[in-house]
Amino acid sequence: MSEYSVVGKSVPRVDALDKVTGAAQYGADVHRPGMLYGKIVRSKHPHAYIRGIDTSEAEKLPGVRAIVTQADVKTGRSVFATDKVLYVGEPIAAVAATDPDIAEEAAELVKIDYEELPVVQDVLEAIKPSTPRLHNDDTKDGPARRVIKARLKKLSDDESQDHSAEIEELTAKFESLEDEVYYNISAETHTEAGDVEKGFAESDIVVEDTYVVPRVHQTYMEPHVSIAEADSSGKVTVWASTQGPFAIRSGVAGTLGIPLTQINVIPTTMGGGFGGRFGVALTHVPAVLLSQKTGRPVRVQMTREEEFVDGRPAPGCVIKLKTGATNDGRILARQALAFWDSGSVSGASIGSTIRVRGVYKIPNLKVDAYGVYTNKSGTTAYRAPGTPQVAYAGESQLDEIARKIGMDGVEFRLKNMREEGDQIPAGAKEPKVGYKETLKAVADAAGWWNREKGPNQGWGVAIGDWTNGCGPGGIYISVHEDGSVRIFHGSIDITGTDTAIAQIVAEVLTVPYEQVTITRGDTDSAPYATGSGGSVVTFTMGNTAKLAAEDTCQRILALAAERLNTSADNLELKDGKVSVLVQDPPRSISLGELAAYSLSTTGGPIVGKGSFARKPSTPALAAQIAKVEVDPETGNVRVLKMVSSQDVGFAINPMAVEGQIEGGTVQGYAWAMMEEMQYDEKGNVNPGFVDYRVPTSADLPTVQSVIVEVPAPNGPFGAKGVGEPPITPTLATMANAVVDAIGVRITELPIKPEKVIDALKQNGK
Amino acid sequence: MRNFEFFEPTTVEEASSLLAQYNGKARLLAGGTDLIIGMKARTEMPEYVISLENIPGLDGITYDEGSGLRVGAMTKMRALETDAIIRDRYTALAEGAAEVGSIQIRHLATLGGNIGHASPAADAAAALLVLDAQVQIGSADGQRTVPIDALFTGPGTTVLEPGEIITAFEFPPRPANSGSQYLKQKIREVMDLAFVGVASAVTLNDGAVENTRIGLAAVAPTPIRATEAEGIINRYHPVTKEILEQAAEAASAQSRPISDLRCSAEYRRQIVGVLTRRTVQTAINRAQS
Repeated sequence: MSEYSVVGKSVPRVDALDKVTGAAQYGADVHRPGMLYGKIVRSKHPHAYIRGIDTSEAEKLPGVRAIVTQADVKTGRSVFATDKVLYVGEPIAAVAATDPDIAEEAAELVKIDYEELPVVQDVLEAIKPSTPRLHNDDTKDGPARRVIKARLKKLSDDESQDHSAEIEELTAKFESLEDEVYYNISAETHTEAGDVEKGFAESDIVVEDTYVVPRVHQTYMEPHVSIAEADSSGKVTVWASTQGPFAIRSGVAGTLGIPLTQINVIPTTMGGGFGGRFGVALTHVPAVLLSQKTGRPVRVQMTREEEFVDGRPAPGCVIKLKTGATNDGRILARQALAFWDSGSVSGASIGSTIRVRGVYKIPNLKVDAYGVYTNKSGTTAYRAPGTPQVAYAGESQLDEIARKIGMDGVEFRLKNMREEGDQIPAGAKEPKVGYKETLKAVADAAGWWNREKGPNQGWGVAIGDWTNGCGPGGIYISVHEDGSVRIFHGSIDITGTDTAIAQIVAEVLTVPYEQVTITRGDTDSAPYATGSGGSVVTFTMGNTAKLAAEDTCQRILALAAERLNTSADNLELKDGKVSVLVQDPPRSISLGELAAYSLSTTGGPIVGKGSFARKPSTPALAAQIAKVEVDPETGNVRVLKMVSSQDVGFAINPMAVEGQIEGGTVQGYAWAMMEEMQYDEKGNVNPGFVDYRVPTSADLPTVQSVIVEVPAPNGPFGAKGVGEPPITPTLATMANAVVDAIGVRITELPIKPEKVIDALKQNGK
Repeated sequence: MRNFEFFEPTTVEEASSLLAQYNGKARLLAGGTDLIIGMKARTEMPEYVISLENIPGLDGITYDEGSGLRVGAMTKMRALETDAIIRDRYTALAEGAAEVGSIQIRHLATLGGNIGHASPAADAAAALLVLDAQVQIGSADGQRTVPIDALFTGPGTTVLEPGEIITAFEFPPRPANSGSQYLKQKIREVMDLAFVGVASAVTLNDGAVENTRIGLAAVAPTPIRATEAEGIINRYHPVTKEILEQAAEAASAQSRPISDLRCSAEYRRQIVGVLTRRTVQTAINRAQS
């Protein structure tokens, strides 16, 4: 029985009515008087020099009001390609016209003179010396060369004795490792704990494999859109469907050299983000440039095809992974070498490669990760950025080891999981997290311990870990004469976060949830709020809301003390009214009465504020079990059961949490089984929903969600961020279930039917 | 979308005259589920669009035990999918129609559009092939009939002359001891395009399988009949597992698939065999029940 009356309850979402009636205003719903329509002129080649840009024909088209190129960017910050394009879809110019069809027509009339260059799309090709190079970068050393280089430095620094013989030998070896000279490297990261060579030597079993994960798109329902309006004073207003209005404000300001306070970002309801809706390059900056040039409002809205060619999807990667264990199931060492496909710019989630350690006690760990340039658009965050990819590799390999040593997959994981106080490889000490509770919960709920399977059926288990982010935020609360409570803030609702904020405030102020409403401000009016990504909002804004509500309580009690002629510590706020604790006869005053009274006192209206910076987060675990059936003749895989558990700390709204668990699981399933951005020398070849498949409700049975609550010390009411963890295990969950069904492991996602058939053939079935 | 002139004729003759007059620059609008998407993507930029919506008599399903089934070209996929007679006697057609897009799309998409678009992967085409459809073609000059086997000439092309419009499809009566099925290989359960589509239809005569028809979609430049496989099924009695396997191999061999971003030719060929075996078996089972 919960000690709380509003938090922990599945109340309806504050935005439910607006969403289901269509009243919610998305970016594309914004119309401004005299608005023009922008269209981006995009590269038709994946890699080419630009020898000329001729806008003259386009300018002559009736209805065209402006064309902007890099020459219009006074700061010199790169907005449009000038001398070289690096992917199909790269912006070269933008057109504004009185009508979207004219803008489209004009964009086609801009003549670009290209000189085509060789193209590279595969990361393992891109690192080779013979490939085209996208940028004039230095080469980087691979793991073995790095080890030798470090040793050489040590030897040459040591003047106590003569190392010339060893130096000569090592130098020769260093130079012979030619295939470890990597080209087109955008970034690198290296982590080491213990001694992996020693760990592998002590292992009874060592498994090594290469895992390939495709680039996938966030496929939010609403494509990127921006409406910009620059007035004659230079003030710029941007209507943006975004996860982070304050990031848009600073991004536009920085890119175009506009003073921060001369930009107001008005956020609209957001049609999905999943990490992909933070940047300013796609629509916001071009819209502002066009509006500045024309003096009229301009809308720039991407089509779905543009989303695929010039969105910022999740990076694909190739992970070479090696794990050593003992026959009794202790993991001794793990080594990863990852190549992340970062596209034309750096920025792939290479830092997440360290998550290949999972939540296990791996005494020896070595991780080398590289970002690699290819002729694709850049990448950005997608729900637990980088982690589904590495968890797929890590959890697949654990499954292999469990099979080889004949140990149950759940038991094997339980045996190796870290507990409170354990050393995290290359990290700090483990806090208290419900790792084992979460895995046991999913196993129990799925019927793992007495599982049965028919022909061509299989069971798979996998886990994934993630830690929510944290950032600054501010909230104001007002209490009105009717007792209603109004919250004012500037963070973007991301699938239920406003509801969680309202629940927290209602709980603290002891008022019914229905009495609490929310107003979202724009960047001119609202206090700063961190962006809605990284599972951050309920943690950060939830804490902020709690502080604001507590501040409001102080004000309420002070007022009530004045009104009831007693001291504040003799008062109690309960059920929406303040009562005197020790007094005869009992007296009380409702919040509405107090609010009315506040207008006539010298104190003024009841206003509370909360301002929150940062507090350490606690890791979370998601664990999943799937049961599948494979058609051995077509290769189709059907999910028969999917159970997904998660340590959420505390579920402020259990139904919303279940929604997150279901959504993340389905996105993970899609990545495992069908989603894949395909490229060839002409660029992205499946830029639409016909050949980029996202699942429908017909593809999966109901996902059974299991909520585990091990409170996070710094979370509001113990809550952790819940949005990202559920996608992390699913790629491996599905892969492991398919192995159990067909006896062969497919190490390259997605597991399309044809790959299943090929795997069966290779296995002689 | 590029600007265009829009016509809403009320007779086939009027529509045909417009189509002939603007030959090469005009497109017929039926359900619009292919055309409008193409126009938005600027892969289709007709200067003239001629709607068939206001022409009476193009929409509707009629059935007569003697003369068989008539389906107007403007009949919606959803109507085919839900029609009791089609589900019972022309099952492969109902199943083919049910595989097109989503329910919303099927309330717009028409059989005439699906066939006239002449996609090699058209879900209804394989069913029409095995149910012996006759294509009614109208123009300002009159009517003619073309058997479905002779309609397609290549991806997106048909034997239709300038100004000709598909007006209806006629199917011979199907006895109670007949059966058919359409199966489609896809990745997504619904709203996916056919990687391979196979329809089979049979009639039983004293327990012997005859009049076998096997239609293949997405494995050749046009939807095709697997005539070799049909012959094998018709030739042997009873149709054993081995006979089915032989027919499957023959259908596979007769298919001419390509490799593309969806899958390889080799995989498509294998699936032709699998779905041929499955659909023939189901058609026989349905004929028996």
